[in-house]
Amino acid sequence: MSYHCPVCNKVSSSALDLARHMIGRGDKVHRDWLKSKGFKYSELLTLQFKSFGNEGYQALAEVLEKETKVKD
Amino acid sequence: MTTKFTVIGQRVHNVDGTEKVTGSAKYTFDVVLPNMLYGKVKRSPYPHAKILKIDTSKAKKLIGVKAVVTGKDTLGRKQGIWRRFPELCDEEILCRTKVRYIGDPVAAVAAIDEDTAEEALDLIEVEYEPLPAVFDPLEAIKEDAPQVHDGVELNININRHIEWGDVDEAFQKCDHIREDQYKCSSQAHVCMETHDAVASFGHNGKLTVWTSSQSSYYIQRLYADMLDMKESDIRVMNRHTGGGFGSKFELDSAQFPAAILSQKLCQPVKIVLSREEEFTATKRRTPMYYFLKLGATKDGKLLAKEARVITEGGAYTAMGATALYLTGFFSSFPYKYPNYRYDGYRVYTNTAVTSAMRGFGAPQSTFVGESQLDMMAEDLGIDPIEIRRKNGMTPNYEVPGQAFIQSCGLHQCLDKIEDHIKKRGKLPPNHGIGVSAYGFMSGGIFNWFNTPYAFSAAVVRINIDGKVDLYTGACDIGQGSNTTLSMICAEELGVKLEDVRIFSGDTGICPPDLGAWGSRETLMNGNAVKRAAADAKRQLLEFAAAHMGANIVYDLDIKDRWVHLVDRPERGVSYFDIVKAAIRGKDGNAIMGRGYYTPHRKGMISPAYSFGVQIAEVAVDPETGRYKLVNVTTAHESGTVVNPLGIEGQLEGAIMMAGGYGYCEDQPMDDGKILNPSIADYKLIRSLDMPETEILEIDTYEPEGPFGAKEAGEGLTNPTAGAIGNAIYKAVGVRINDLPITPEKVFKALREKKQKAK
Repeated sequence: MSYHCPVCNKVSSSALDLARHMIGRGDKVHRDWLKSKGFKYSELLTLQFKSFGNEGYQALAEVLEKETKVKD
Repeated sequence: MTTKFTVIGQRVHNVDGTEKVTGSAKYTFDVVLPNMLYGKVKRSPYPHAKILKIDTSKAKKLIGVKAVVTGKDTLGRKQGIWRRFPELCDEEILCRTKVRYIGDPVAAVAAIDEDTAEEALDLIEVEYEPLPAVFDPLEAIKEDAPQVHDGVELNININRHIEWGDVDEAFQKCDHIREDQYKCSSQAHVCMETHDAVASFGHNGKLTVWTSSQSSYYIQRLYADMLDMKESDIRVMNRHTGGGFGSKFELDSAQFPAAILSQKLCQPVKIVLSREEEFTATKRRTPMYYFLKLGATKDGKLLAKEARVITEGGAYTAMGATALYLTGFFSSFPYKYPNYRYDGYRVYTNTAVTSAMRGFGAPQSTFVGESQLDMMAEDLGIDPIEIRRKNGMTPNYEVPGQAFIQSCGLHQCLDKIEDHIKKRGKLPPNHGIGVSAYGFMSGGIFNWFNTPYAFSAAVVRINIDGKVDLYTGACDIGQGSNTTLSMICAEELGVKLEDVRIFSGDTGICPPDLGAWGSRETLMNGNAVKRAAADAKRQLLEFAAAHMGANIVYDLDIKDRWVHLVDRPERGVSYFDIVKAAIRGKDGNAIMGRGYYTPHRKGMISPAYSFGVQIAEVAVDPETGRYKLVNVTTAHESGTVVNPLGIEGQLEGAIMMAGGYGYCEDQPMDDGKILNPSIADYKLIRSLDMPETEILEIDTYEPEGPFGAKEAGEGLTNPTAGAIGNAIYKAVGVRINDLPITPEKVFKALREKKQKAK
């Protein structure tokens, strides 16, 4: 399956990868999209500092799994 | 491997060595032009402040002052080396509204001499409104921290993520897991020649600049951006550069103010940064907080690694974004991790800018990684060499989704080092030997600069007398690239080294080249030079074939100035005679060959990688913590060795620099002010402190490199701090996780160890 970024249409292989892309890109348009979904960019990043693992990405990936354009 | 060559593999002194040792080489520092003025730069005393007003009237009235400029005299543009990403071009150089570190430039003066310019600086009145500042990245990422740049949340300049495999699942399968934290310090470049420039605007609107630089092309292009000029109207020349380790390929506070002043006056302006400015207001090595988690099976097979890094970015982006990526990539080196995850964050702070420095993030990752690997080996009861051998990269290994490694001599290096350790026999008391393995790239495949040109290019011209002119945009910054490239040209063309005359680093006459960084010159520019020489040779041999009337089944070649049949080497003619005839046959045109190199389909990082293993032996005084570097031995494989003498020079320089990073160099600060901005206070390893050094030869061949060669410059800087840390532990049983490993830290650790034992 391929997941398309709702902002720039970049294709990722999983919702988690797409979450990484969106947080990693981190520019205003991507941040604005995150904000529109109730996320705070800074909080997603802080989650990454707090512990080993993917907490920050997982939270966003759950939303992306439901909301982004997915193609088989 | 090298015996088939006539030039490659010879021990050759640098082609510009005579000029340098006799003092006749002209550096930018030596350039004097008619009517030249001298510039000085006024800098912020605050780490973070608004600029309310700059009054230059008194300075302008001082006799001998010709011009004073501020940010208002510029186009107000921001520059950055990451040109593909405008939000990362964040440095004005001459600040207009806000300063972000102590040393940020706010004005510049041109006067008839340096003393007058210096005096005028004191007459410039700048009214600031100091702002709250933040100096530590761990503080800067807090919600309530002062914002260094508006709109940058948590002051996070950029973040990078690398991952392959299933890290979480792999950790569950591990028999043993370690989690450790490290702190890597800053380091100053301490180039012998400080940043400097002579900028000369002509009345024709064209700009000529002499400057100490690692990339004439980058500087030319950045000038074009900042001055809104055509790049062809700007000529940047880099004749000799007195050292460059990563701080000299971005437009700096000597180059830009000199050009603005010269533009205003139509007179040449020279700015040479003082040693104090060099320490406080040029780029430096990136300090990093490293969090590492490493998991292995009980027999020492590494299954998973996770790295989180927060770097102190300083006030602007510079090349720090690349260092952030590379430290994450090289944190997986030189081992085959089936599962790996990296999260890196570069954080703005109100401190001097951090950026590229020799090793480009890898000295940090190698120190922390090699320290932790030794700890893992001890936990598991495995020999340090053995755990490296069990997990080390091998030829034709793919770093998942990142890189493809063709040649890799890591295991030969481990074998040689193991033999070497055995030969050293039983060590005296309080001596220890530490091991550190490493790898590095041979040039980067990144194009964040957004160049439309080939990454490297060269032109070869064969003149009527057979002498060869080689034109390349490569910059010799003291690493000897002019010699290496001349040797590659001579070998390919079949002439002697003394037949080649090289012209480099001058955008007016040389094709663009990205410059000397990321250990790229030997492989990337070397390939361009080899192809240019091959192009010229092909033209010559086409003529020679007709001239000699040889059967078309025979191939021709040139070796040692002899044009001959490959299968009948005795049948041939003089290279010089063929050149004369060929040029006459071409209606008098000199023979021109052109060559280009841009890596394609070589992964995301580099077309080739070098590998090595280093040991450091230390002798520690357990009462005081003082220690001495006794011996540093390195097995480094860099493919075909172009110039063994050059590698030895690189190795000694690297040990001095990397040993300093591990042992004594640091830039302590008080509220953003660097406390040791002089050679007297900044502790370097001096010649008398240098350990005995040895290099162990490893024979490999890199298919992507010219004649099989790859890098031998920066990689050598990576292992030493880790080797020292591991050696100290072996000697006296204390481990220091924050650099530099000073005697004071060793002493404190020994004291704590004693107290715990009680």
